[in-house]
Amino acid sequence: MLSFRNVLKNCLSARKTYSRNISALYITGDKANENYVTLQPYLDFKETFRDRQSLEQSIASRGLDIRLESVLSKYEKYGRHHDQLAKVSEEREEVTKRLKELTKSGGRAEQLEELKERGKALRNDLKTLKQTLYPIEDDFIHDYLHLPNRLHDQCPTGGEEKLLYRNGLPKSDNKAGSHLHRQDLLHFVDNNRYYMMEQAAHFDVNAMQSLARYFVNHGDFIQTANPDFVRCVLLEANATPLTDYHLVQEEHLQNKINTAFLTGGGSFESYLGAMTKLCVYPSVLPLRYVCCGRSYNRAEAELYGPTSSLYTATQTNAVQSFVATQTAQEADAQLEHILNLAIDFYKALDIPFRVVYASAEVLTPAESLRAVLEVYAPSLQRYVCVGRISNYGDFVSKRILFSTRREKHYDFLHLVGGPVLYTSRLIAALLEHGVRLEDCKLLGATSQKPTHQQDLQQFKDLFT
Amino acid sequence: MKLLTNSRLLRPLLLLRRQRSHDAKAEAPIPRRPVPTSAQLDDMERNVVRRHHKNNVPLIRSLIQEAEAGDQDKLKQLDVELEQLPNTTHPRLQDYGEEPRELAQYVHRVLPPESSFKEFSELARALNLYRMDHLGNYTGHKSYYLTGQLATLEQAIIQYALQVVTDHGFKLISVPDILPKEVIESCGMRTEGERTQVYKLDNGQCLSGTSEMALAGFFANKLLTEEELPLKVTAVSRCYRAETSGLHEEKGIYRVHQFTKVEMFAICTEQQSEAELEEFKNIEVDLFRRLGLNFRLLDMPPCELGAPAYQKYDIEAWMPGRQMWGEISSCSNCTDYQARRLGIRYRRSSDGQILNAHTINGTATAIPRLLIALLESNQRGDAIEIPAVLRPFMDGQELITRNKRIPETKLVKFIKA
Repeated sequence: MLSFRNVLKNCLSARKTYSRNISALYITGDKANENYVTLQPYLDFKETFRDRQSLEQSIASRGLDIRLESVLSKYEKYGRHHDQLAKVSEEREEVTKRLKELTKSGGRAEQLEELKERGKALRNDLKTLKQTLYPIEDDFIHDYLHLPNRLHDQCPTGGEEKLLYRNGLPKSDNKAGSHLHRQDLLHFVDNNRYYMMEQAAHFDVNAMQSLARYFVNHGDFIQTANPDFVRCVLLEANATPLTDYHLVQEEHLQNKINTAFLTGGGSFESYLGAMTKLCVYPSVLPLRYVCCGRSYNRAEAELYGPTSSLYTATQTNAVQSFVATQTAQEADAQLEHILNLAIDFYKALDIPFRVVYASAEVLTPAESLRAVLEVYAPSLQRYVCVGRISNYGDFVSKRILFSTRREKHYDFLHLVGGPVLYTSRLIAALLEHGVRLEDCKLLGATSQKPTHQQDLQQFKDLFT
Repeated sequence: MKLLTNSRLLRPLLLLRRQRSHDAKAEAPIPRRPVPTSAQLDDMERNVVRRHHKNNVPLIRSLIQEAEAGDQDKLKQLDVELEQLPNTTHPRLQDYGEEPRELAQYVHRVLPPESSFKEFSELARALNLYRMDHLGNYTGHKSYYLTGQLATLEQAIIQYALQVVTDHGFKLISVPDILPKEVIESCGMRTEGERTQVYKLDNGQCLSGTSEMALAGFFANKLLTEEELPLKVTAVSRCYRAETSGLHEEKGIYRVHQFTKVEMFAICTEQQSEAELEEFKNIEVDLFRRLGLNFRLLDMPPCELGAPAYQKYDIEAWMPGRQMWGEISSCSNCTDYQARRLGIRYRRSSDGQILNAHTINGTATAIPRLLIALLESNQRGDAIEIPAVLRPFMDGQELITRNKRIPETKLVKFIKA
């Protein structure tokens, strides 16, 4: 029993710290021959360890199994070796320089020989030091990359979420029937496979397109369409648990540790591909993007089980938001902006919903704050997430080198975003509330009435 | 076709097959095909050769001989080989050779023959609406982002296509993109082998290459009534294809691994399927005509049909930036090829007999190539004119212009700490 408990504990801690034996995000020089280095994250040790107390608090509040003391002692060891390496390297450069000067000015042969010997010895020392440093570097940097972001002031700790906004209250009558009974609208096979028919299918497309349009027209967002696969290096940069998505088995994979995952174009991670190594002019900030797409996230399946349903399904249509700002204050303002737009949309649907700040322990290590949009699911008698907007600060930007140039240095951008709609879960909840999907008011929907020009065109078409 | 004449010899074999067929019924109640006669085998071989399909007929012949000689283990292998055979071919196509036959050209705009038309990627990049470079290590080979009005245009095309096909009585269905490999194989796609076009996931399931697979899977093992037919459905889905191409003419988003498509699919009776295919073709022609594209309609020769199709039309749009015709749509009559494998059947009203249905599939709109054709054909100086039929879905916008709020792709190599 004891050993079982240990195994379980190990598993849980592994899950909590998302550790991997090998990382696609950081590859030390000795392994760079076999594994192509695709990205060199900006490692800001000083900033990370500047306020040790808040980092310690972030680790504790998230319930992560990380001992900061141990990371710091590794950092110290790494720093010591690194300094030594730098010293030797500097000395070697000095010797080379002197050797050059002496050769030019016609120095004595003995002196030259002595310097050459010294140079050789230093080269060997450097080589040995590098070899010693690789495992030390490996050990420290991997721990370092597992350190979480700092928590936002607003992020609740202690296991309780914080209510931000509420619209309507769930009726306290008997448990409603599950949406799974609506076989006229839904054919559910398993979490990977379901079909929606008639009005459910129309709502699935229309709700997604309408909300995206609402963001474009009323929130000044730019629409995008994104790729569906995201490689491991970006999931690591975003500290996304790799178990959240299905791994795609590629036939001719060049870089074995940088595998592809099926995230769907409607995932936050999918945006990161376009932002990696990107340097933008401050004039485009805040950069506000929104997209329609699929999402294939299986992270919350357990939460809304045990019965599989649209609440636990992997695939859904989604509307994804992504905003980059120059400062933390602007990031806060943009998160509020996204929430306001989303609240408008859900309010018009007229079912009980709320917005909460999630408690620290459910956050991924990259998030500093997460606001969750939840609708009430009568069959589960609980609120379920239909969207979540997170503040990542500059944590992810530093890892993917997403920046703006200010005079001579780079400012890493603050990221805010996340899905604002999962259609499948919303449809399930609406059906359980007895709402007729065709009667729903969708903010942002186009008026389908043809314009005068259209009428004219159709008339002309009759003769072509 | 003649029925089995050497049944006396094959009786033990048939009995065994019937028994196995009965055993298998619980999981897949698909009626088994009879063992082909020598004459049928000759027909099959001619068909296979004409279609440039892998010729396994000699192997089938020897397997039948071995089975007749008493080696009953060969029966399973025989089944597998028979499943590999392509569909029969419409007799009209027999003298087509290897070239498609152009049935019509639809010219909706006069284009100067040689001109300064820009190619899609050049156009879209200049307008800051598209990115495909330096993404391989992050979002995969040949991945792409559409931005601003180009992304809006994608959604507008989806809405436009849905409006047209639902007006023609097609019912919209939301479909899964992750499917068991059996469903995909039943549609006539291989999931194994060096050059498979199908992506596999860590759980052993596959990514759908077209929603036709999910739709066919939806109706698998369903017994429909004749009154329900033709049953017409449509779906918007992401399509995943593992195929790659190094061809210059297929550069950019012409052939990509992921794209959105609006698909049409119909289940009908044997008597309805030819007329139904004509309807699919007419809808497609109408869709692209209203978009103002120049295109041609091709009747595809046997070697271009793939395994499941009995006949197939392709529509190729003129892409003036590339100065080439590019396939933007197609539709096929698969007769009972898919239905037999998936157990999609119907009860005939007149006598109650249960028959295999016929399936038809066709592309309403596949986004990337349609974007190429639309942008290249609608260039107006520094802007792109939006076709009138799409404007209501784009808040009345008439032009696609450069968006200065979208950052240019300026990349750093690394940033020193």
